[in-house]
Amino acid sequence: MLLTLASVLSLTATNLQADMVDEILDDQILPAMQALAESSQDLAEVAGTICRPGATPLRDAYGQAFDDWIRVSHLRFGPTETDNRAFALVFWPDSRGKTPKTLAKHLREADPDLLTPEGFAQSSIAGRGFYALEFMYYDGHFASAEPHAYRCALTTAMAQDIAANAAAIHQDWQGSYADQMRMASGRYQNKTEVKQELYKSLNTGLQMLADMRLGRPLGSFDKPRPKRAEAWRSGRSQHHITLALQALHPLAIALAEGNQDLMEQLDAAFQKPILRAQRLEDPRLEGVADPAKRFRIEALQQEVNDLRALIESDLGPSLGVLAGFNSLDGD
Amino acid sequence: MTSRRGFLAGLLATGLAPAPSWADLGGPAFLAAARQSDGHFLLAGLSETGAIRFTCPLPSRGHAAAAHPLRPEAVAFARRPGRFADVIDCRDGAHLARLEPPLGHHFYGHGVFSPDGTRLFTTENDYENGRGIVGVWQVTRGYRRIGSFGSGGIGPHDMVLRHTQGMPQLAIANGGIETHPDSGRAKLNLPQMRPNLSLLSLEGQVLDVMELDPELHLNSIRHLALSSTGTLGFAMQWQGDPGADLPILGLYQPGTPPQLLAEGDPRLRNLRGYGGSVAFSPDDQAIAVTSPRGGLVQVMETHSGKIIQEHPLTDVCGLATASTGLIASTGLGQIMTLTGDTAKQLRHHNLAWDNHLVPLT
Repeated sequence: MLLTLASVLSLTATNLQADMVDEILDDQILPAMQALAESSQDLAEVAGTICRPGATPLRDAYGQAFDDWIRVSHLRFGPTETDNRAFALVFWPDSRGKTPKTLAKHLREADPDLLTPEGFAQSSIAGRGFYALEFMYYDGHFASAEPHAYRCALTTAMAQDIAANAAAIHQDWQGSYADQMRMASGRYQNKTEVKQELYKSLNTGLQMLADMRLGRPLGSFDKPRPKRAEAWRSGRSQHHITLALQALHPLAIALAEGNQDLMEQLDAAFQKPILRAQRLEDPRLEGVADPAKRFRIEALQQEVNDLRALIESDLGPSLGVLAGFNSLDGD
Repeated sequence: MTSRRGFLAGLLATGLAPAPSWADLGGPAFLAAARQSDGHFLLAGLSETGAIRFTCPLPSRGHAAAAHPLRPEAVAFARRPGRFADVIDCRDGAHLARLEPPLGHHFYGHGVFSPDGTRLFTTENDYENGRGIVGVWQVTRGYRRIGSFGSGGIGPHDMVLRHTQGMPQLAIANGGIETHPDSGRAKLNLPQMRPNLSLLSLEGQVLDVMELDPELHLNSIRHLALSSTGTLGFAMQWQGDPGADLPILGLYQPGTPPQLLAEGDPRLRNLRGYGGSVAFSPDDQAIAVTSPRGGLVQVMETHSGKIIQEHPLTDVCGLATASTGLIASTGLGQIMTLTGDTAKQLRHHNLAWDNHLVPLT
């Protein structure tokens, strides 16, 4: 009887260990990838029937699909990197203004071959994806660009290209990649490597938040750069920060499984910046240039960096990841 | 008491001992600095398959090393701002001599021997004057300092010996960044920085200076590799805003314009603006760069400049040309062989391998 109980307990313990990866795949990654594929498909369909950039159903569909991308934007490995799919979905930051240049060229040339899925998939990455579509929908110049018919056909091709990429990413995750992570033999040689990949994506997401989504518009006190905020044209800059934090929160908690203290610490450390991000009341992060508001955005960045420090010092070692000897160095 | 070095030199002078050569070592192919799990630092000699042939303790964190062309002797450099360079007998790891930079200078972590092995050149910071310096040391007289000359820029880092038609040259990556030990590793001149790749004669005459377009003036040229035909590969580190779309790797054949690789390929972003080490493939058809920040090795085709392979590898930094492909080292203790699309672990040591793998050729 005792023996049975012991073996049940040890079985449960094994399952709990294995559960960490399964739970992250089944509760987080796979549903999120499915949501992205579905809302992107929806966007492609709506874009095919409505051309007027200001139309509410079109903006809603665009917003939903973009939301779904931001929720997975930290998962930059495997299926998103095949054939540069993620770069084709999100070419940002665009420090050299390649996106508007590419779109202007498309409109000027009005090449019908570009409008086929194959033709468009071959075109410059800077003219594809959510940020390019944002120009077409929210930038006054592009949203009213002529010729009207070509512009409509182009935005349809762009939305369809987004849907095709999102579908391919989802298909790879569902078809094979999730199983490769579960089996942990082959691409990943053991469970530790799988957990390290997930941990790395958590770090990537937080780094992206602190350095890009917050750091780029913050610039310096003397030289704030509000026009560098992510997706400011559509007023989504603040929203993306909240979405990203909300997506990283459950991932961090799941990776801390088995360590109740750390789970609670992480939970609290996420609640603070999430609440602060929600309360900013600054959709475009224009406050970076207003001394009276800037400190709140700086405080948010600090909280994200505190979170990174906690994750590096307390979560990393439990997953066999030590602070980078070379990666944190510079020489 | 006769020092070991003095004793050996005496033997050599009397012709009683055969001159030791690299062949005595049973095949160490690379040198690399590392941190042990107890926090101490060392220099190791590695075989072609990543086995440790010898280790020698270092007083603090190392960076790169220079191998003597004839004798099994190497100089291990401290990480900048380096206060020492240790001469090591690679047959057994014995410590032969310690070089200290002149007052007001520090080492940058790289150096190279003259082809005949009589002189050692070291990249140095003359920090009171904000000048890049190449220090010259006479090997045959116990590594005595015999002079110095300007490096052709500010912040010289990596330096390699380039042979052309009988005239050896020093190729120097002047990173362009001014630092002063009083302010740690803080960068003092970013708005004005102008990195370059300089070619100097062994006497210090500037023969050629390559600078990139002014819009890339924040891209610090830091590490070098040399192909069998004398083409220089250079790896850069971006000092500007994160997220910019930038070249990290370039090729330079003096007399022709520099070629920046993979320009416009979004995957360059995966390197996070930071090239750590650079090496050519054994056949020169490809050149690779490591990015510890991106946890990645990117391999590019030399003739087209296209990215042909990405190898994800956590905390990778050291990289060198091996006989069958490329060899890489990581801060997690791995020695990896990279051939085609496969990355295979050769060895795992309980050490954190530091920035560079230096080939002993």
